[in-house]
Amino acid sequence: MPERLRQLLPSVLSVLLALGVCWALIALTMEPGTATKAYLQMLWGGIGNWPAYLEGAAATVITRPLGEAAMKAALLTLTGLSVAVAFKVGLFNIGAQGQMLLGALAAAVVGAHVTLPGVLHVPAALLGAALAGAAWAGIAGLLRIYRGVHEVISTIMLNWVALSLVDNWLVVGPLRGAAEGGQSITGTAEIQATAVLPRLLGDGSRLNLGFPLALAAALAVWVWLTRTRSGFETRAVGLGAEAARAAGIPVARRMGLAMALAGAMAGLAGAVLVLGTEGRYPGTLGAPYGFDGIAIALIGNNHPLGATVSALFFGVLRAGGTRMQLLGVHKSFPELIQGLALLFVAGRMVWLALLRRRNVAPAASAEVPRA
Amino acid sequence: MLDVLHSLLFSTLDAAPALIFAALGAVLSERAGVIAVGTEGMMRVGAFCAAVAALAMPTPLAVVMGMLAGAALAGVHGFLSIRWRSDQVVSGIALNLVALAGGTFLLESLYGPNGTPPIQQLARWNIPGLSGVPVLGALSGHSAPTYLALVLPFVFQGLLTRTPLGLRLRAVGDKPQAVATLGLSVPGLRWGAVLGSGLLAGLGGAVLSTAVLDRFEQHTPAGLGFMALAAMVFGRWTPVGAFLAAAFFAFGNALRIGLVSSAPGLVELIPQGVLLALPYLLTLGVLALQGQRSSAPAALGTPYEQESR
Amino acid sequence: MRRGELLAVVGENGAGKSSLMNVLYGLYQPDAGELTLDGQPVRFKSPRDAIARGIGMVHQHFMLVPTLSVAENVVLGREPTRNGLLDLERAVREVADTCARFGFQLEPRARVDTLSVGSQQKVEIVKALHRGAQVLILDEPTAVLTPQESDELARVLRGLVAQGHTVVLISHKLKEVLGVADRIAVMRRGRCVAEVRAADTTAEQLAALMVGEGHRPAVPSAPAAATSQAPGERLLEAQGLQATGDNGRPALRGVDLEVRAGEIVGIAGVDGNGQRELAEVLTGLRPLTAGDGTLLGGPLAGLTPARARERGVGHIPEDRLHRAVVKALSVEENVALGRHTRPPFARGPWIDFAGRRARTRELTAAYDVRPPDPEVALRALSGGNQQKVVVARELDARPRLLVVVQPTRGLDVGAVAQVHARLREAREQGTGVLLVSLDLEEVLALADRVYVFFEGRVTGHFLRHELDERELGRRMLGATEPGHA
Repeated sequence: MPERLRQLLPSVLSVLLALGVCWALIALTMEPGTATKAYLQMLWGGIGNWPAYLEGAAATVITRPLGEAAMKAALLTLTGLSVAVAFKVGLFNIGAQGQMLLGALAAAVVGAHVTLPGVLHVPAALLGAALAGAAWAGIAGLLRIYRGVHEVISTIMLNWVALSLVDNWLVVGPLRGAAEGGQSITGTAEIQATAVLPRLLGDGSRLNLGFPLALAAALAVWVWLTRTRSGFETRAVGLGAEAARAAGIPVARRMGLAMALAGAMAGLAGAVLVLGTEGRYPGTLGAPYGFDGIAIALIGNNHPLGATVSALFFGVLRAGGTRMQLLGVHKSFPELIQGLALLFVAGRMVWLALLRRRNVAPAASAEVPRA
Repeated sequence: MLDVLHSLLFSTLDAAPALIFAALGAVLSERAGVIAVGTEGMMRVGAFCAAVAALAMPTPLAVVMGMLAGAALAGVHGFLSIRWRSDQVVSGIALNLVALAGGTFLLESLYGPNGTPPIQQLARWNIPGLSGVPVLGALSGHSAPTYLALVLPFVFQGLLTRTPLGLRLRAVGDKPQAVATLGLSVPGLRWGAVLGSGLLAGLGGAVLSTAVLDRFEQHTPAGLGFMALAAMVFGRWTPVGAFLAAAFFAFGNALRIGLVSSAPGLVELIPQGVLLALPYLLTLGVLALQGQRSSAPAALGTPYEQESR
Repeated sequence: MRRGELLAVVGENGAGKSSLMNVLYGLYQPDAGELTLDGQPVRFKSPRDAIARGIGMVHQHFMLVPTLSVAENVVLGREPTRNGLLDLERAVREVADTCARFGFQLEPRARVDTLSVGSQQKVEIVKALHRGAQVLILDEPTAVLTPQESDELARVLRGLVAQGHTVVLISHKLKEVLGVADRIAVMRRGRCVAEVRAADTTAEQLAALMVGEGHRPAVPSAPAAATSQAPGERLLEAQGLQATGDNGRPALRGVDLEVRAGEIVGIAGVDGNGQRELAEVLTGLRPLTAGDGTLLGGPLAGLTPARARERGVGHIPEDRLHRAVVKALSVEENVALGRHTRPPFARGPWIDFAGRRARTRELTAAYDVRPPDPEVALRALSGGNQQKVVVARELDARPRLLVVVQPTRGLDVGAVAQVHARLREAREQGTGVLLVSLDLEEVLALADRVYVFFEGRVTGHFLRHELDERELGRRMLGATEPGHA
């Protein structure tokens, strides 16, 4: 079996199995037929209600769901990239959530308190978010490089520090948005109109510039990793740090830069959320996109393009989740599918062993690289 | 003054046990060489199962159910990490995500977003003679888990340092090959540690929903599983160290909450958020100062391969 | 195996010696065949079974828990208890008894990571004897010992045999084995091809059995051809080099040496005396704490791997799998490592795929690397072929100084010969080669000059015609003056 296929199969099989298990979960606990109907609703909710459209409904039944799916996919792509980039250099970035928080806050602040013409305002906010995320990730990177502190522990700690400092101090304290019309609001001040990410389909959906931005980021990361010298060096560090060092590669610098890039990606996710959909830093971020990024990256085999595909898939599923409520299935259902898919992917060796028994030539598995 | 101390101590003794049990579980798992990132998920399933079980059986029994639930999740972690040598962090994170999504899903499907129905909390015991005493009297009036949490860490420490089993456990976390070549079972020891850590984490979660609160809430355990990891690291991977760190964190939390009501001026000076971040910042500080590699078990996180030389 | 004898098992790397012993000890399960002990068939499902039947094993890489004490390591698995608690006092007493009975000097309470290598090995032996091992298997025990410690080990082993124990010794050091064993079994490619009495055979015969007909092994019976040219310019000149080892203790304590163009300089010494650290200093992988010198026109201080390569230092490291190659990357990516920022491997910040591919194809053809596919992952190649890739890569960079450490470890005879030939070729082309090898025979075969290392210092310097194994051995033990007889 070609190597590439063997890399892909565990991910695909895991997702299919997760879909299957969850389908069975509904089938066993609710009325017959609900399971398939619920899945269909999830699909229409993600890629658009094609049956209705083909019967003459307005285009918005397509564009609105697609827009939601795209926006979720954009966030998942960016956090997925954040985790995947760190993996490439051999580091486990569990801190995407904290990095995203800081990026979101930075974007909200630049968006609300800095005045720039439209053409400059959005890039400035994005840059601020990227830098904030990069700095936060950089702390973990420095601790790892100079003090040998394992990044799993430090990024977990930093997540909670970020959450406490941002949600429980900055956003309710100094950066709190002023009351409007006598009503106090949660979160930071509303961003200015010049900082909003422009909508791409007008009022037809919430699809905004953030989606192509995320895809462009994925492409850029892929090109960097596979075609440039520094990308090659980064991969070498992740796959064999000792040999990389002996080959003259500046290991610490590559690790630091990759970690900073990872943080920047997560920070951008925060910016897309704030500048595209929320318009401010809301009281709390809501869904744990940062942790989801871990699932997305691993299901996507830590490859930028794989993570993108995985993000698109789960973006569709999660956008569709709200429609499942019509059938009595709770809207958090897609997150369950995602979690199970990650669990099955974690058992990569199990898949490889099963595949081997069917006379498929085995090779070493793609383990999580450890520097 | 004494009153303040008394009430602080009382709150700490109520809140700390959940953290202590989870931290002990993490120490057990990691001393044997298996990373315990999944502690948060195990606490969550323990809390949920205990809260639901308590609707149908006496609460102490429900706590046992919670422990078994934690062990079941730990069993999955063990299956992936020990039997199939998967990456232990990935496995732990996956279990956390499944527990998070699964818990929310089950809660909202069965009971709605406000938590499970209230249950009969664990009975509180009054130690005769102590109730009136200032400060020391705070020891009286807690439920069984509190007293267990004060004793278990020392029992555990004794087991680890003074029994053959403890010696083997320490050996398997530092150099599993040595243990294997002596004819002992590395998987057996590690399975025992992982399942034990699941029981303890499940107990911690169960305590949250049956003693601290009277229900399972949306966010339980709200990051306590990760704070347990911080306590483990801060306590240098020893049972008593983790206990002291956990007690310290819990005390700090009680202090923070107490300050909000009694000294709001101080709160203006040091914002809540900073105080909330303090346990994690302290742990980071300790790690930065000491460099982690020196105190963690040497073979932590590396799957043991039978056929390797 | 016969009771009360010292049986040696010899064979090349990969012949299956260690695997066979691991089966005997219960660590591996046999796919076929049977094991008979004292006339009864036995099946060892785990070391526990083997230990129960009186078999003990001392592995090549020690199986000791560094953070525990000697006594704790020895009793692990059969701990003495009192009321269910570990009885450490009794453990210490029992271990002290065993040590005394067999003549070992060990401090039972000492933490294992504070002991010397030789002492750690003794702990391993005591561990086995403590469990009542009647059969003791030792896997390459002298690989990490000084010649003096090896002699002592030989005495200990013969003493055990005299007491009725059976000792099985795995080794590839034929002369040593002939000196200590009663019988010798020769393995080749997973089969036992001969069993002879030590008194009835010679090293040459054994070597011939080990490799099969037609090949001459790497045991030098005649000195190799000396270089045809006089050494050229000084490439490396160093004085008073000092450096700290991985364990925080000084590894180099004042080393003076020089290497010239067109010569092979050998570094001889028992493992752990600073040779490895010297190689690391010269390739920028380890900083100097004192001393200085010039390396290819620049100072030795502040050297990094990148700077070393820029100046023209090539490096064939010892630990191939971790230091020289990234096995998950493809062959061509590995060929590029070290020069990946320059043409033909890169153009500006971009990778030059075509250039890299072409150069790789040239090299795999010239060095007969199999399979010659540039895209295949390096880990799919055999050890010998991987080493060929490394040698090809380093020599293709035309280094002025080539630092080579243990280049032929784990390679079969054919590959060894090829590597040696390439090194000689490099010398003829004017490269200065610094060869660090624990295999004295290899050093003797290749070097024009030899420095002997002991405890981080140079204790001897020999020109080719002055080489004498006995004298080298003395210097490797620390003697700094010529001995008598």
